[in-house]
Amino acid sequence: MTAAIFSHDSRSSAAIGAAAHNRSKALRKILTYAALWIAFVWAVFPFYWMIATSLRAKDEIFQRPPSLVPHTVTIQNYIDLLVGAQFWRFAMNSLLLTASVTLVSVLISVTAGYAMARHRFKGSVVLPLFMLYGQMFPPVLLLIPFYAQLRLLGWLDSLWGLIPVYLSYMLPLCVWLMRGFFSQVPHSLEDAARMDGCTRWQAFWKVILPMAKPGIVAVATWVMIHSWNEFLYASTFILSEKNRTLPLGLSGLIGQYTTDWGVLMAGGVITALPILLVFFFLQKHLVSGVGGGAVKG
Amino acid sequence: MNVRSILKGGAAAAVLALGLGSSPAFADNIVMWVNAALANGPDAPLYEELKAFQAATGHTVEVQAVPPIEMEQKLFVALSGGAGPDVMTLDIAWVAGLADAGLLADITQKAGPIASQYQPGPYSSGLFEQKQYALPLYTNNVALLVNDRMLADAGIQKAPATWQEFHDAAVAMTNKEKQTYGVSLGGNRMGAFQLYSFIWQNGGDIIDAEGKSHVADPASVEAVDFLAKLYTESKAMPDSVLTAGNWDEVHAPFVQERAGMVVTGDWALAAVAKANPDLKFSVHPLPAGKQAATVIGGFDLAIKANTSVPEASFELVKWLSGERSIALMRKYNRLSALKKAATPEAIAALPPNMQPFMQQAAAGRARPVVAAWTQMHTDVFANVWDSVIRGKPAKEAMTEADAAIKNLLEK
Amino acid sequence: MSARTARPSGLKPTWSSIFETGLGARAYPYLMVLPAVVIVLGVVVYPVLSGIMTAFYDVTLRSLNSGDMDFVGLRNFERVFADPNFVRALQNTVVWVVLNVVAQLGLGLALALLLHRAMPGIGFFRSGILVPWVVPSVVAVLTWRWMYDPSVGIVNELLVKLGVIDAYHPWLGDTATSLYAVTVESIWKGTPFVMLLLLAALQLVPKSILEAASMDGASGWKKLWYVILPQIRVSFAIAAVLTFILTVNNFNAIWLMTEGGPLNSSEILFTLAYKYGFKRFDLGLASAVATMLFVGLVVATTVYLKLIQAREED
Repeated sequence: MTAAIFSHDSRSSAAIGAAAHNRSKALRKILTYAALWIAFVWAVFPFYWMIATSLRAKDEIFQRPPSLVPHTVTIQNYIDLLVGAQFWRFAMNSLLLTASVTLVSVLISVTAGYAMARHRFKGSVVLPLFMLYGQMFPPVLLLIPFYAQLRLLGWLDSLWGLIPVYLSYMLPLCVWLMRGFFSQVPHSLEDAARMDGCTRWQAFWKVILPMAKPGIVAVATWVMIHSWNEFLYASTFILSEKNRTLPLGLSGLIGQYTTDWGVLMAGGVITALPILLVFFFLQKHLVSGVGGGAVKG
Repeated sequence: MNVRSILKGGAAAAVLALGLGSSPAFADNIVMWVNAALANGPDAPLYEELKAFQAATGHTVEVQAVPPIEMEQKLFVALSGGAGPDVMTLDIAWVAGLADAGLLADITQKAGPIASQYQPGPYSSGLFEQKQYALPLYTNNVALLVNDRMLADAGIQKAPATWQEFHDAAVAMTNKEKQTYGVSLGGNRMGAFQLYSFIWQNGGDIIDAEGKSHVADPASVEAVDFLAKLYTESKAMPDSVLTAGNWDEVHAPFVQERAGMVVTGDWALAAVAKANPDLKFSVHPLPAGKQAATVIGGFDLAIKANTSVPEASFELVKWLSGERSIALMRKYNRLSALKKAATPEAIAALPPNMQPFMQQAAAGRARPVVAAWTQMHTDVFANVWDSVIRGKPAKEAMTEADAAIKNLLEK
Repeated sequence: MSARTARPSGLKPTWSSIFETGLGARAYPYLMVLPAVVIVLGVVVYPVLSGIMTAFYDVTLRSLNSGDMDFVGLRNFERVFADPNFVRALQNTVVWVVLNVVAQLGLGLALALLLHRAMPGIGFFRSGILVPWVVPSVVAVLTWRWMYDPSVGIVNELLVKLGVIDAYHPWLGDTATSLYAVTVESIWKGTPFVMLLLLAALQLVPKSILEAASMDGASGWKKLWYVILPQIRVSFAIAAVLTFILTVNNFNAIWLMTEGGPLNSSEILFTLAYKYGFKRFDLGLASAVATMLFVGLVVATTVYLKLIQAREED
């Protein structure tokens, strides 16, 4: 339909055509921006609503009908959350866990991804596919063997025990994305470095790795977001209060007797904030990084 | 460092210890999990009490607060993995399941001498297959909370005391224009919990002493039908009955003065007062059917089956459930399960809103103590309630439930 | 490889020189993939195999404690098939997956096309639209649950104001709407990642191809269908596979909003397996469901990838 209209336009006489073209261009611009705004509001509104709820006074939260903008703004919910509660501890646990998992998966996936992209060896074709399928195991199937394993090792209710568990669902895709990324870095650079007298390892370390930075950033962001947000494994294997991560601490705020939605939403804002900041900071690398990995996969 | 200075230091330490009084030879560290409601914040009364315990016995206690909603699952996972606490608070309905799985210590011998200090109902909640596994920390039951203004506005003088009055009051307070309703109940497990009182009030039963199911008996079916029709026919319950999955959501319409009544326990008093301090409400015994009855709830204290500190753990359980529990539980607005807490003088000393709960304690009935009770509650009865409020005939739902329960009892 | 490993002149001897020749050179790539392979074997392959084994044994907490588990053959599977909740969960899973994958891919593509243009302020829109992907899923789910609240939910208020509904509706409490209400949240959360993958792919499409197509008079849908889509088909296929996997394994959304209820109306196989395993503590039964889920995923993905391959070869 649209195609027919536009092609009709282009065949009309020059004068009318130019005017119509300008008008349709302006119209398209307006429509594009309208669509962008709709998508933007749709995407951001729940986050706005969370912030708005967290800033409301207790009696306003249950007001009917709810008003889009809080009448009075208070930070009491944040004070209630951060004073006395164990939220700081949860945040430290999350930070520790996320940093460890990110470090390990980036280190391991960088070397493995590089080797798979650059070298031909037994299994260099099958392994990447194997990694993709590795991402496919339903966590619920792994839950029970993990439970038995952790129980055997005495690692139930331990943050360290969660690291191998998280690797199981991070590492395969990381390797796969890194491999895709390395296959995009031109061979000529490595060859030039080798001509200059670098060993393979030095060429990889000094030349290829810096080139692959966007890919590494993308993979690291992906791992960070997912380990920061992970809930299922943590909620099953973490048992005591002191070992809870932020998402667990948050779900723990839903009490049996009282659920304080204001405080809960304040917790949501605080849980989301660090990862949002990291994300905005690294965003530029992300689009090209993820793209590089996935396209060449 | 020479021998003399070591001796000197040792002597100084000994003097210090003697001076402070009481450090027994073996001071153990006890890990205790408590439901989060008892350890909300660093100045919860429990911590004060544990300091007293430590001063008296030398044992230290490490407290972990666990959200009650996930507590049963966490205990199962932790205890069966060899981890988990030495001492734990347990909803009285969980004792049988955990004991059946061999995860709780048998304390029949130790508990014998002090058994007579507890009210018999709560005490028996720790008994499974003739063995004692837990002692009561506090007890509760459900009563009727009424919004005085809404009741008066509906032209009713006194709080309902019979099913008929309960029904009429609920209908009278329902107003479609103003979006007000008679009574707020919960969905799923929350609703199922309410069924039991009404089933017993109507002369029905769930599982009798011989382990036989009475779920499909006409009296049981009639009670479920009565409650469900308050929503399906009279529209006297707000829609939150479909989804409310915790007490807070059950209380919400009452707190917001959209529902005139709510059937709930003493834990509601503090929650309602906090959420709406201006609300004028009164507490009444549950309206009686053919007989008075209310479901007993509360928490017990139990010990892990293979704890490394059995003696110290029992001392702690004895301490917390003993004489001092009366004062301790008062600070939480909860009721101690000691006989001493139920004397007329003790009841008179309670805040007025707490008294109706203790007054009807004699009509309290315990839920069946069978290994599969948790599954019966969360799968079978929660499903019954969810389907009858969505229009399934009570007879059909209860007949299916009866078959499911018989099946679970056979296992 | 052999062309690129020609020994360069003037190599400075370092510890890494041992990888230049002979055994070292041959072992080099293996050493580099070794850590990844070992970890994947340890934390993925072994647990999966033992998980599948569990499906054929009678495993409960009590038998785990005592250590004697009985081999029961296919009895766990028989018990699963006999459970009416399983049939319900199977149907729901199909609805859940189809709705999510179709909507996320469609909306993700549309958004990627919108955000691909170089326009003033496009960075602002890009960041904003990616927010749902970054917000922790527990936070997102709880926020949506709050927005769906039957008495003070903003969703109800907005829909009433827009005239879509007359009165507040318990979206999560109605068996007819619970699954779809959760689906809306899941689409909201999942679409930005699809958008990100496709946007990245679009940016790699050479400008010259698009310009050539415009010169030929192709515009609108034609350009999209005949020029753009073929260029990004690989990314699209990957997005489809990933969305499919992530949707089947999306636990948080359903668990934290409805726990599969009311009356199993939003139960999917994943939540059912979780209930069997960690509510009822019947681990054998849970493994049976999870094994079927896994086999289904592998079969569906393999068939899809094969189909794509076949079309590529045409």
